[in-house]
Amino acid sequence: MIEARGLTKRYGPKTAVDGISFTVRPGTVTGFLGPNGAGKSTTMRMIMGLDRPTAGTVTVNGRPYAQHRSPLTEVGALLDAKAVHTGRSAYNHLLAMAATHGIPTKRVDEVIDMTGLQSVAKKRVGGFSLGMGQRLGIASALLGDPKTLILDEPVNGLDPEGVLWVRNLARYLASEGRTVFLSSHLMSEVALTADHIIVIGKGRIIADAPVSDIVDGTRQRTVRVRTPHATQLAELLTGDGATVTSDEPSLLVVTGADAAGIGELAAAKGFVLHELTPVTSTLEDAYMALTADSVEYQTESAQNHVGHGAAGTSAGAQATSDSLEGAQR
Amino acid sequence: MSATTLAPGTTNPTASRTSPYRLTFGHVLRSEWIKFRSLRSTWWTLGITVLVMVGFSLMFAAVVSSMESAGVSAEEAGMGAADGVGVMVVTVGYTFAQLAVAVLGALTVTGEYSTGMIRSTLSAVPRRLPALAAKMIVTGVVTAVSTVVAVGLSYLVTYPILSGKDMTVDFSSAEDQRALIGVVLYLTTVALFSVAVGVLLRSSAGAIFTLVAVFFVLSMVLSIVLGVTGAEWVQTLMNSLPASAGEQVVLGGGMSSPDAIGPWPGYAVLAAWTAALTVTAAVVLKRRDA
Repeated sequence: MIEARGLTKRYGPKTAVDGISFTVRPGTVTGFLGPNGAGKSTTMRMIMGLDRPTAGTVTVNGRPYAQHRSPLTEVGALLDAKAVHTGRSAYNHLLAMAATHGIPTKRVDEVIDMTGLQSVAKKRVGGFSLGMGQRLGIASALLGDPKTLILDEPVNGLDPEGVLWVRNLARYLASEGRTVFLSSHLMSEVALTADHIIVIGKGRIIADAPVSDIVDGTRQRTVRVRTPHATQLAELLTGDGATVTSDEPSLLVVTGADAAGIGELAAAKGFVLHELTPVTSTLEDAYMALTADSVEYQTESAQNHVGHGAAGTSAGAQATSDSLEGAQR
Repeated sequence: MSATTLAPGTTNPTASRTSPYRLTFGHVLRSEWIKFRSLRSTWWTLGITVLVMVGFSLMFAAVVSSMESAGVSAEEAGMGAADGVGVMVVTVGYTFAQLAVAVLGALTVTGEYSTGMIRSTLSAVPRRLPALAAKMIVTGVVTAVSTVVAVGLSYLVTYPILSGKDMTVDFSSAEDQRALIGVVLYLTTVALFSVAVGVLLRSSAGAIFTLVAVFFVLSMVLSIVLGVTGAEWVQTLMNSLPASAGEQVVLGGGMSSPDAIGPWPGYAVLAAWTAALTVTAAVVLKRRDA
């Protein structure tokens, strides 16, 4: 169980994580989804006590991570595939990590077998590929047989077999009653692995719901209609409460009416239809729809900044700034 | 496919049980020892330390011996009293060995920052200070043992050269005893100083540059300036700097100028610098984002 309350991280004037609150529950895989730079890694580092929050708190299994008597058995984390000394062998790295908690050598061999690192365990990490580094990071996270797992972009650099393995491992660990919190910037990956999704954009939580809710709630069903009677049909459909957009004179994109209804309406009025195609948006579209606002917010705030900066210089600049802000609204 | 081969071995369903594993200082110490011994750079720097100590002893012994044969006494050659020559021979390599020791101490920390290992270390030991303490203990003990070995080897390899001339270490002399203990203390403290500098600077290049400046260039430049000008303030400055004050515990009265700080007060200056840097490093490490 991970609980964040008002968690905030600022680096100078930049706010990386902006007062977020969320709960990650045991027995499920929770996906942490957001574009690059949304604050996922910063949040995970704060959970692990590596970065100090500017404000707010985060606890793991009831207390701040650093206050646990045996942290590695509470939380195993893969924060960065290359959080390993390049001059040391994978085996010695795991041995040193295990030693901090008195974890026996037998367990080191176990996690090496589990992650398929047997053939490279005695080699120095400097020569590892990204995929092998990722496997070593996961081996490291599993060492303490932890109740909670935090995996930052675990499938990065893995081959298809490795991706499948991480997916199954995450689900298996959750089925044992563990808390699994994994981040990704790919909606499709999270949707396949997670039961619950927390979406973050620009340091704020945009959505926090079961996967099915997110997918259904944001997935739009539209119908593409091509007809020589576009204008008349659009008027009729709008009258029925549907939303109609049009990129070309004879092409309509209809939201809020199904293909059958549109077809029947057109037949009743004697309109010729050249095309009638139901379009279902993909998961990626849903994700883009969710995070689009946070991207817009970014550009708008940048413009505001320019406006305020100019305001202080002279009366002329003041006028420019006002008109700039006016144009924006 | 992968799930069936990997999942069953993954874990016993122990998630609800209390784990038998504990984070203790003893365990952290053991972990730091494993980290220390499993890097090649450790053995390189330790090897260089011993090699430099023994090599300089041999060279110095040969020089002293040939001068003695030529009828120039050590006193005349400006090396202080003849009865201190033996101990000077076995300790003289510290000037260069301290650089290897400084690199060793700094890399213990900066190697972790440059590779990202520090995040693994601080995740496993989230209170952080035990990890720093363990690093210092391991680095200090290994440096002390290596110095003892190096001095012992130096004594053995120079014995045949010096024994005929009655210039070997006089183990009953208080001065010789102080210099022998002093060289071990000095190099060990330099190693600890370097660990602290490593924590503060995080970068290998920056830390090594700083340490070479502090322990080598600065004392050399100042002793040249002192030699040329004889200015009192230069001596005062040297008496308060970690290297030029600290090394008095090795040099003693012999080669030092009469105004130099005494051996033990000199070591105390180095120890105070090291303690102050260690406290600063601890505070910074505790507060800083990793």
